[in-house]
Amino acid sequence: MSRARALVGSAAYWLSPPLVCLALHWYDFRAWFRTDDFAWLGLTRWIYSWRALWYALFLPLAEGTIRPWSERAFFMAGYSLFGLNVLPYRVVIFATQFASLILVAWIGRRLTGSAAAGWLATLFWMANSSTSIPLGWASAYNQVQCGLFLLAAFALLLRFLETGRRGYWIAQWAVFVLGFGSLEIMIVYPAVAAAYTLLCAPRYFRRTLAMAPVSVAYFLIHRAVAPLAAAGDYAMHFSPAGLLRTLVRYWAWSVGPVYLRPSYGTPRWLLEALVALLSVALAAFAVNRWRAGCRGVAFCLAWFVLVIAPVLPLRDHVSEYYPYLPVIGLCWLGAWAVVTAWRRGPAVKSAACAAAAAYLLMVVPQMRAASRWSYRVTVRARNLVEGLAGAHQLHPRQQLVLDGVDSELFWHAIRDHASYLLGIEHLYITPESAAHIEVHEDIGDVGEFLVSGAVLTENLADGRALVYDVRNPQLRNITTLYASQPHSRDLPLRIDPSDPLISNLLSPDWYPIEIDHRWMPARALVTMSGPPKRGLALYLNGSVTSQQLAGGPVILKVAVEGSTLGTASIRSNDFEFHFSLPDSLVGKPQVAVDLSVNRIFHAPGDYRDLGMSFGLIAIR
Amino acid sequence: MQPFISNSPHRLAAALVLGAALLSPGCKRDQKVQVQPTIEEEDTPRLASAVPMNVPKLAPQLVSGFYPIENNSWRWTGKQFSVLLRPPTAAAQRGAVLSLEFSVPDPVIQTLHAVTLKASVEGTALPPETYTKSGAYTFKREIPASAISGESVRIDFALDKAMPPAGAERRELGVVAVSVSLGPK
Repeated sequence: MSRARALVGSAAYWLSPPLVCLALHWYDFRAWFRTDDFAWLGLTRWIYSWRALWYALFLPLAEGTIRPWSERAFFMAGYSLFGLNVLPYRVVIFATQFASLILVAWIGRRLTGSAAAGWLATLFWMANSSTSIPLGWASAYNQVQCGLFLLAAFALLLRFLETGRRGYWIAQWAVFVLGFGSLEIMIVYPAVAAAYTLLCAPRYFRRTLAMAPVSVAYFLIHRAVAPLAAAGDYAMHFSPAGLLRTLVRYWAWSVGPVYLRPSYGTPRWLLEALVALLSVALAAFAVNRWRAGCRGVAFCLAWFVLVIAPVLPLRDHVSEYYPYLPVIGLCWLGAWAVVTAWRRGPAVKSAACAAAAAYLLMVVPQMRAASRWSYRVTVRARNLVEGLAGAHQLHPRQQLVLDGVDSELFWHAIRDHASYLLGIEHLYITPESAAHIEVHEDIGDVGEFLVSGAVLTENLADGRALVYDVRNPQLRNITTLYASQPHSRDLPLRIDPSDPLISNLLSPDWYPIEIDHRWMPARALVTMSGPPKRGLALYLNGSVTSQQLAGGPVILKVAVEGSTLGTASIRSNDFEFHFSLPDSLVGKPQVAVDLSVNRIFHAPGDYRDLGMSFGLIAIR
Repeated sequence: MQPFISNSPHRLAAALVLGAALLSPGCKRDQKVQVQPTIEEEDTPRLASAVPMNVPKLAPQLVSGFYPIENNSWRWTGKQFSVLLRPPTAAAQRGAVLSLEFSVPDPVIQTLHAVTLKASVEGTALPPETYTKSGAYTFKREIPASAISGESVRIDFALDKAMPPAGAERRELGVVAVSVSLGPK
């Protein structure tokens, strides 16, 4: 009987953290895709050979990151096998998290000597408000997967220290090295292992240092293939004061809610006071245990500092989910403190319970709110994408224009080209929608999707485009209604020659669209709007062939409204130029851009005179 | 070392399965997303008796010779243009009245001096009319019942002259059409 009870108790101990996680993060478990997810899912479009697969897995992308397991393989294999059915992705994400929870409990039990503390640490972790994004946004799976690598490597180290079996040591190495394919944060693992051995198993300290060169080598190789950003949000800043400020901020977001957002109408000062109080309590407990000769408390703090360290130099890119892995150290410490206090007198016990309750009351509402928000946004994205699939199925040869798009829908469901996954190469938004979308130039260009009033009117009249209202969950075809209303007659400021809707703005000399560009012969014209204000330039990007360049630089001549704007000497295959526009063009409803090149070529088997191909012609 | 050797075929197989999965996307794209129905406009709109030029939904009835809508209200025609209309009730017994609302712009008269508009209904010619001044007109003709049968009637218009392409304008331009309709007699 007692054996059966022990078995049930053991099952409850190990299974309850995953169940609590699922309960707390139920919205995250049901979330669909959004934002970057579509770009990662879309990688599969380009894989038609082993070489392309290799590039897709290992080429630096998105701020120079190389995360083959947690991003590339996760999304590409997922999309290949399950398409946009989100359930398998969610199962993988949560299964990874469940494994991490079990490891947190297991490691916590060893660090604190208390099974209760191990279990409580999992509760504190799952409640933390930094956990919502990693569990609710598929693109942040790298955090979840890296957590498993980090915890598994450390658990194997502990097993090695307990048993002395070489197999655990080798397995730790393997997990550590593989972890680099998950997230760059793995670079800190040697420091984590060294910190633990230095504090708790000094005899093995030097041995753990052997892993450091691997991290250094990874850093150097990664930096060589994906140089660090010198400017922008991802630029690194190493001033000590700045690093400390960022550390304090992440500490506060770990002990309290992210962004210190209050819940239940709590005044901000009270929130800050509670965070300070909890911080003092944790520090007091750590000092107390340290004085008692317990070095594990220092390791818990070291875990937080070491794991958060790689993102501290990102002064201008603070993110609410960055504390997700570092906070595990504080969860062990906090759980340890509560369990220790529980064994003391009623006053200490009550204070510890109050502290734990204060923490949960601060973080759980924020975590749940973030999960609900994420879920709601992904539902909107799902309605849009699946509705677009329906519209495209009905009208495969017409271009789809979306009306009623707001900022949230644009940035979370449109900007990353979810439409590519449906075989829709061009998706448009009406000028009325574009006018209401917040501009985030660092993230993307609304203009890429905008169809000008004049172009839209003409294409609606010719039946080449259809307008769908996306304000409601079900897309509604409002083409006739939209066309019957007065709209702007503006020509576009941005001409993508591969855009099928702007064909009438190109002179007949242009050749047919070739996926994302068009060739012109030696000379061709483009009609577009004049610059709306002074100081703007005509931007051109395109390409010429090596065959053309073999005879020396290709000269591109640009004239607007009959006046030469300038010439450019093209010496490499791809080019982009800016030509300043004269003030005399400002406000003109229509200008003719005349493009000519001095040298054409003929591709083998192609009768056409090929001058130059253009990807974009824009006034900006 | 033995386990590693014995496991290697499984690893290879796993790698091949993963690779095959990753390499398979292009061929099954259509099945990868659930399709939600959309709310569409009338699936098969009934043929209209009157076709204002600024109603895109009715554009399919403009068989040929009409250019895109301009100023949200009218269309240039070419030298010849045709339209499909639904006959009014009992037209097969009583006949119908064809009305084309259009205008002859100044440049047309300045260039061509005069234009003559002819029309035929299912091969039956209607009396032509010549316009020597610019302005708005209604070309109105009675259509005999014998020329009307079935659910639709095709009207073919023809001008004796049209403005040839010139300068930036590469289209051949006839008159400016505003609407065309078949009404009861």
